Amino acid sequence: MSAPPFAYANAVMILLGLIAYATLGGADFGGGVWDLLASGPNKRRERAAIASAIGPVWEANNVWLIFVIVVTWTAFPLVYATVSTALFFPVALALVGIVMRGAAFGFRAHVREATRSATTWGVVFSVTSVVTPFMLGTIAGALATGDIRVIGDTVIVNYWTVWTAPFPLACGAFALSMCATLAATYLTVEAHNEDDVALVAVFQKRAMVAGAVTAAIGLVAALLTYLEAPVLWRGLFGQALPATLLAMGLGLATAVALILSAYRIARVLVAAMVALIFVAWGVAQYPYLVVPDLTLANTASPAITQELTFFSLLIGCALLAPSLYALLRVFKGRNPVVQRGESAEAFVSATMSRQGAQPGHMRAPGGEDGRTAPTTDAATGDGKRDGRMSASDVRSGGGQKPSGTRSEQAAQPARGAAPGGQADLLTDERARERQAQWMVLGVSVALAIIVPVARQVWRWLWEARTRARVDREILRELEA
Amino acid sequence: MSNELAARMQTGISLGFHIIFAVLGVGLPLLLLIAEGLGLRYRDATWYTLARRWSKAFAILFVTGAVSGTVLSFEFGLLWPRFMGFSTAVIGLPFALEGFMFFLEAIFLGLYLYGWDRLSPLAHWLCSIPIAVAGAASTWFIVTVNSWMNTPAGFTLVNGKPANIDPIAAMLNPSTPFETTHMLLAAFEATGFGVAAVYALFLLWGRRDAYIVRGMRLGLIVGSVVAPFQILVGDLSARGVAETQPAKLAAMEALFQTTKGAALHIYGWPDVAQRKLIGPVEIPKLLSWLVTGDPNATVQGLDATPVADWPAVTVVHFAFDTMVGIGFFLAFVAALYWGQYLYRRLVRKQRDAGPLNRLTLLCVLVSGPLTFVAIELGWITTEIGRQPWIIYNVMRISEAPTSAPGVVAFFVTFLVVYVALFTAAALLLSRMARSGPAGDQEEAEREALTV
Repeated sequence: MSAPPFAYANAVMILLGLIAYATLGGADFGGGVWDLLASGPNKRRERAAIASAIGPVWEANNVWLIFVIVVTWTAFPLVYATVSTALFFPVALALVGIVMRGAAFGFRAHVREATRSATTWGVVFSVTSVVTPFMLGTIAGALATGDIRVIGDTVIVNYWTVWTAPFPLACGAFALSMCATLAATYLTVEAHNEDDVALVAVFQKRAMVAGAVTAAIGLVAALLTYLEAPVLWRGLFGQALPATLLAMGLGLATAVALILSAYRIARVLVAAMVALIFVAWGVAQYPYLVVPDLTLANTASPAITQELTFFSLLIGCALLAPSLYALLRVFKGRNPVVQRGESAEAFVSATMSRQGAQPGHMRAPGGEDGRTAPTTDAATGDGKRDGRMSASDVRSGGGQKPSGTRSEQAAQPARGAAPGGQADLLTDERARERQAQWMVLGVSVALAIIVPVARQVWRWLWEARTRARVDREILRELEA
Repeated sequence: MSNELAARMQTGISLGFHIIFAVLGVGLPLLLLIAEGLGLRYRDATWYTLARRWSKAFAILFVTGAVSGTVLSFEFGLLWPRFMGFSTAVIGLPFALEGFMFFLEAIFLGLYLYGWDRLSPLAHWLCSIPIAVAGAASTWFIVTVNSWMNTPAGFTLVNGKPANIDPIAAMLNPSTPFETTHMLLAAFEATGFGVAAVYALFLLWGRRDAYIVRGMRLGLIVGSVVAPFQILVGDLSARGVAETQPAKLAAMEALFQTTKGAALHIYGWPDVAQRKLIGPVEIPKLLSWLVTGDPNATVQGLDATPVADWPAVTVVHFAFDTMVGIGFFLAFVAALYWGQYLYRRLVRKQRDAGPLNRLTLLCVLVSGPLTFVAIELGWITTEIGRQPWIIYNVMRISEAPTSAPGVVAFFVTFLVVYVALFTAAALLLSRMARSGPAGDQEEAEREALTV
């Protein structure tokens, strides 16, 4: 029995989705771990840096998990049904973690800092950030042990020991420390962008420590595979040996890059390492999805579902790629402020102060413009917190705003208009940026055209092949 | 409590919870898009104020909607593995597509919420368009799955397993056109009236800022445009249900006997044992006319279905009638508001429509929560009305639940988590509405720290 050809393509998509989730979403979990472990004189700044690094991207990162789940249940329904039955407890716990974590992070961003509710949400956020990746790791580990048996449609399993055996637990610990390593490495870049030398040093040290811990746990887990997951053991040091070795090498290279303070390179290397760990695992476990009864071939959906899923994934990715690029470019790029002329923020401030100068035109606009004022003028800030403002407040608030914005820009030359010397460099960079944007746009448009055409062509070929095969069979029957 | 009951209750509560936030997550982007667009076009601070306030509320609602949606995607497998194992090969595709739409929404939401000082005003406004479009599209995809459960299509049963699968035909099943439209319109209607209700409350409390008046007006515009269409689409839905799921329609109308020239029964108490409806308001021949267009046509009653396959008639009948009643009430509120508004502007030639009378404001205030009640009731009607089937005429609920232990504990845990989430979200939103932008200040402080 062999799987439809697109089942392999979809399996690769699932693996890619897992890699994206691990490298992007994993770092968000790691951020929560460091939020929990934040200590010392920089505690507040550390937490602020973590929050501002995660804030804009975590929801998009979280969707990778949903992506993986829906593709799995469409392409390999039996695997999904089996996993959620056999691993009911760890999945349920991970789920509680995901829910509480997302909500806590979202809510914390909207309550005043240093209040009791902010602290509560912070604790919930960081604790669940530890629990969730651990549980996801145990789930991955349990799939390889061979303790989940499927006879017919019935799942035979010990619901408790299946995920509390040493190997799944080691996998959980490995996943957790991997997330922490990722996050610390990424955060060095963030802190470096903000020119915060103290924070860079802190996160550099933490990345090194977490990396060492990851390596140690990885070693233990690799040895445990010999005892508890022989399929994985044979694979990791057999068919997947190149990937395994490369992942280890990349781990060492990350450490070197960190020592040499090449943070951007370290960020790429550590992400590549995580990706290769997944590749190695995937290759090692092939063709099993759940060892030993479920393989790629005996759980795949019919060909038509696989085909449609794969092509809609391609089209979806064509839509997704430029958007994701824009998101990461705007918030994680080298020079993160992408703006020609004024920002939306400045535009709104200008609009508000312009209308604030004409009392009567607009009555009490609420305190939406508290962004710059409260730090410079506590009294105005309190007035605004109240939500109601007299016309004179509006005028004075409006008067401060342009100057506030200017001083902000002066304090951060990298973000504002560039002084003369850097102008050429900046235009150059912008030109390259524009080129890159056009390229991404071009590729997506090309994909959007090519994919449907390719699908049609492939269908013709497939039909022709089927017809030829049927013809041959008829001929053979006639001969017989 | 049996696994089946716990699983049913948990799924019901999760969906009922998710739908409130999902609906706002679809509807609010439209309001944001309009308000920010007007602010940009006319350089108007009031519209901007509205857009920024709503975007803060939207952030909280979206988070809650997103996490409860994630829960659902896990829960389906955790609680109903046999249902998922059976159906995802057929109907998994729209889930994948919905995932992509959700992805787009999350990406552009990130840009929108955090991009105020990193994007140009036009680029920032443009970000709200994909949010609105992707939100609506994801609703469409996910509701196709539910309509497939109501009217399964795109496969044939061979030895109890689906064969000859056609995922596209499964998505475009007979219920899809009206069920998806009904849900989308409901999302916009509920958001419109919900937002208007918040500002009506402020107006009743005596605050009358320009931005409160405009906020209520924009909400009512969206709600009023949708309300009459919703009634029409609802009528189409009922006709579709009569055609494809006669037992559900009979339960909705509490029609026990197959009747020629059937009357429309409003409320009344269904006595299931006696197969009688006690004390309804009766409008002769209206049901036949509504369902077929012919006042003397025959409408199939519950007696055509074996009793074992009856849904819970009382629940479905009450839920359906109340939903319809609320639908008409909303149209009435819209008419009341605009009648008063136009009368003052056109007949009395006032430049500003001035303060509305308290009765109108009260009606708007009440309509807000009522729209959400209507959505829940509509959901109950379609879901309970499908019982005892999980996939209509293909798989029974009792065949689907998981055999894993601990389902009841899982249910109780999630009940607690949900109550906590709901309370927290509601508290945050109400505090935000009353006292203004705490988030802004925190952001400013954080900015001050990083500089």
